[in-house]
Amino acid sequence: MSQEKFSQISPSEFFYSNRDLAGFSNPTRSLYTAVREFVENALDACDHAGVLPEVRMSIKPSNPDARDPRHYVLTVSDNGPGMDPEQVPSAFGTVLYGSKFALKQARGMFGLGATMAILYGQITTNKPVVVRSCTGGDTAEEFEMLIDIQKNRPVILSRKTVPAKKTGLRVRISLEGDYSKAGAKIRDYVAQTSLITPYASITFDDPKGEKRSHPRFVRKIPPAPTAIRPHPHGIDVERIRRMIAESRPAIPAVDDAVAKKVRRELGLAGAAGPDTLAKRAAGAKKLTAQSRLVVALASFIGTDLAGLSRVRIEDVDIPNSKIHYWDYGASESRTADLDPESPHYAEIAGLVRGEPLASFLTKGFQRVGPSTASKFAEFAKIPPVKRVGTLTNEELVRLSSSLQGFEGFLPPDPSCLAPLGEEPLEKGIRKFFEPDFAAVVQRPASAYSGFPFVIEMGVAYGGRVAAGGPHVYRFANRIPLLYDEGSDVAVKVASETDWARYKVKGDAPLLIVSHICSTRVPYKTAGKENVADRPEIERELRLAIQFLSRKLASYMSKKGQAEAARKRANLYAKYMPMIAEFCTELAGKKKQPDYSSLVGAAVPAGPPAGAQAGGQAGAEDGSEAGPEAEAGRKAGATEGGSGGK
Amino acid sequence: MANRRKERQKGALGSLKKQGESVYGDLAAGRFPRFVMPSRSVNNIVYDRKTRQYVLGSSSSQRSSGNSSQLRSFTQLMWLAFFANRLTKEKKSSTLRDVYYSSQAFAVEFDDQAESDNIIVDLEAVTSRPREDFQIFPEERSTIFGDLDVEYTIPGYEGKRMNLANHPDGYSIGPSLTTADLVGTSAEMVIAIEKGGLFTRFVEEQVDKKFKSIIVNTGGQAPRSTRTLLKRLHEEMGLPVVVLTDGDVYGEHIAMVIKSGSANAAHLRELTVPDAKWVGVWATDIEKYDLPTIPMTEADIKRCHDLKKDPRYESGIWRKELDVFLRIKKKAELEAFSKYGLTNITDKYLPPKLELAKSL
Repeated sequence: MSQEKFSQISPSEFFYSNRDLAGFSNPTRSLYTAVREFVENALDACDHAGVLPEVRMSIKPSNPDARDPRHYVLTVSDNGPGMDPEQVPSAFGTVLYGSKFALKQARGMFGLGATMAILYGQITTNKPVVVRSCTGGDTAEEFEMLIDIQKNRPVILSRKTVPAKKTGLRVRISLEGDYSKAGAKIRDYVAQTSLITPYASITFDDPKGEKRSHPRFVRKIPPAPTAIRPHPHGIDVERIRRMIAESRPAIPAVDDAVAKKVRRELGLAGAAGPDTLAKRAAGAKKLTAQSRLVVALASFIGTDLAGLSRVRIEDVDIPNSKIHYWDYGASESRTADLDPESPHYAEIAGLVRGEPLASFLTKGFQRVGPSTASKFAEFAKIPPVKRVGTLTNEELVRLSSSLQGFEGFLPPDPSCLAPLGEEPLEKGIRKFFEPDFAAVVQRPASAYSGFPFVIEMGVAYGGRVAAGGPHVYRFANRIPLLYDEGSDVAVKVASETDWARYKVKGDAPLLIVSHICSTRVPYKTAGKENVADRPEIERELRLAIQFLSRKLASYMSKKGQAEAARKRANLYAKYMPMIAEFCTELAGKKKQPDYSSLVGAAVPAGPPAGAQAGGQAGAEDGSEAGPEAEAGRKAGATEGGSGGK
Repeated sequence: MANRRKERQKGALGSLKKQGESVYGDLAAGRFPRFVMPSRSVNNIVYDRKTRQYVLGSSSSQRSSGNSSQLRSFTQLMWLAFFANRLTKEKKSSTLRDVYYSSQAFAVEFDDQAESDNIIVDLEAVTSRPREDFQIFPEERSTIFGDLDVEYTIPGYEGKRMNLANHPDGYSIGPSLTTADLVGTSAEMVIAIEKGGLFTRFVEEQVDKKFKSIIVNTGGQAPRSTRTLLKRLHEEMGLPVVVLTDGDVYGEHIAMVIKSGSANAAHLRELTVPDAKWVGVWATDIEKYDLPTIPMTEADIKRCHDLKKDPRYESGIWRKELDVFLRIKKKAELEAFSKYGLTNITDKYLPPKLELAKSL
């Protein structure tokens, strides 16, 4: 026998010992990750409330004379709806507590990152997190908290009411960081966030007191994503088990109110044992389903109403005819027999059997109607009338793998996605890089493993784009991805593109902006910095880059022509006067011939001549890019539609 | 004689002016000016059996200022015509290298001297005149010695006479000599010799007096000014020209170029002495005189095969000696005769060869 002791650890403890996974490996990376988590939470809160975000972020050293790595105070505030003060301690003092379990596109998942940052701050500085929330009115609630790591629960040090001007949340933590090393990345992060969130105003007050302001340049919030039911392809056994459990009506907890109601219906004055309850119930004319259930439970467990209030039903095991329940009084788990012969059996069994498979599927999943459900049942070899609560383990596994493998489902519904849109994206690219040429494209929605995704991409050439491209700015669900560039799928696709084919020569001032929106972005690591190369995603990226490259190529060839015309004009302006001078002396003439018409004629008439002024040429091409991009998107849609199979 | 030189110069200036007027006229009329010249591509170089030299065929090419890729070289050529005009008018001489540097004073760009040399050849083709007519001369490396009176025409020396037997090292064949008028000579032939060393020996041994000859050192392949002078000695003074070279395939070709020109200068017809005779050293002499030899290299043998394809080497002594070279695969230098004494070449070898030349 093993002598090792096994003990359960709390999620806080788990992340405490595995903080590298979440991007808190060293002071440099941790400062960056903390900034990210809080800024993203702030933006998400505003997005969900439909508010134009105003996010303020500041990083200040606790002791200005200390040297990096040192302690910093990071403060992030937003103008979102704020948080119900009663939720604040759990939300910021418990790991794995969050509001983001629903299936829709959001920056963060599970609210894990913010509490990780708080946890990291606490273990490096031993200082509490300060959360101030205002949900309206002229006051805010301010909490000072620590996390009890072993018990995974908040320890509130203080709570006070302070005056406030507007709604929103402000979080302040102390943490060890290295701004001298992380600064460049943080500044990039803030700038790129502004690019991909053009409707947000973001300010950053850095440790040196320098204030960076990124005001919004788009006033329209992109349409918010809607929460949707899962697609059958994105399912696994555990997920189905949970969905089945959630689809059952809840077994009520028998509290005082319920007990009172049952007594009234049965006409009981005082306490009564299970037998009395059963007798009364049998004689009663009208009885609610809830009361029938309470009576049945009392009968099987063998207790009265007061006793029922002290237990919690954990599981009803129909195949083995057992009820498992937790007895608060004895503080232990107990089991009672479930006699199939009992007149009360139907009450309990009906409860847990759940619904028939067909209706479970149509209600629980997107893209499943009655006829698809019955076709699927045939495919999975499970009768459509079979109650989901009675499925055996083998049947559950078969159900799960059939859901993944059945090809009769339509692709996932993309309404849960919130791409930025071509117009704001292009506006951002033009504002940030003032390129000579820019084009954007939004691909039609596609899916990998049951998760829908949309690729948005932009390309910029010239202007303030640095030479040495293609540079790739990567975004996923409106988050800039700055680390681990080398292994990212978008970088892979960009570097595999044969740019010479598109008339782009080496070291070009070329920039690719790639944005992947999905209900689940397939990150390679928990640090959320690079996207794995799923074939479906890679294909969409490739199509987007090809589409944009063709437009770039046509710009480049126009530019090439304009340049050639410019060169030609320069050449004639330089040489014709020399020719005139030499031939005049050689011919023995006094006056030079008038050759001006030849200098002009050397430059071909038409558009290339107009493009001589560099800036103008860029502007012309730019204004064309809009409608062309629109047309391109339509073309792209057809392409995607036929290629989607 | 003086008239002849002046006429040449007048002709050169005239042809330059004609080009200038044509360009001027085009500009004034709003046309892109162009130069037309015979094509110098390999396909257009043909052997003319009548004149016994290489000439350019009938196809022509043009350099148009309307074509932006030719604009630069058009301007360069225009400038050169302009510059040659100044040189000729002012009677200033210039070398290829001078031309390259002079261009910079006029902001006319040449990447290197090869480019400017090429444009000079273009001007020769456009005007069908050698560059010497425009006062552009090669670097001097060949010399002349013998009883020949010349009268200079260059500025500062006009009318001044000189006898070319006055200085035993010989006189460089430079611009002043090339443009000088040939006044009189007692010589009865011209001996062109490939090497400076032998030239000195010939002067020492008074070959000029013993054989009544003018001795010319070609310094390897004869420069064009030297070939022009040889032609003038032949035509104006009525002197036969014999050529004495090393006993190898390159020597044979030096003689051939004096006689019938080179493919490089196919656009010019005034550089050849069709009656010039090659008297040695022949391949057959190597065996006959039992000369010390050097084995022929791969390149030497290849050169023999190349020349066998040339129509000028189809027959006669030219073909016969090539075949012997290929058979014996040996070569001998002029100095090889020193094995039998320093004067062996002038005393024993030369007399019968000169006799033989008369019958060639």
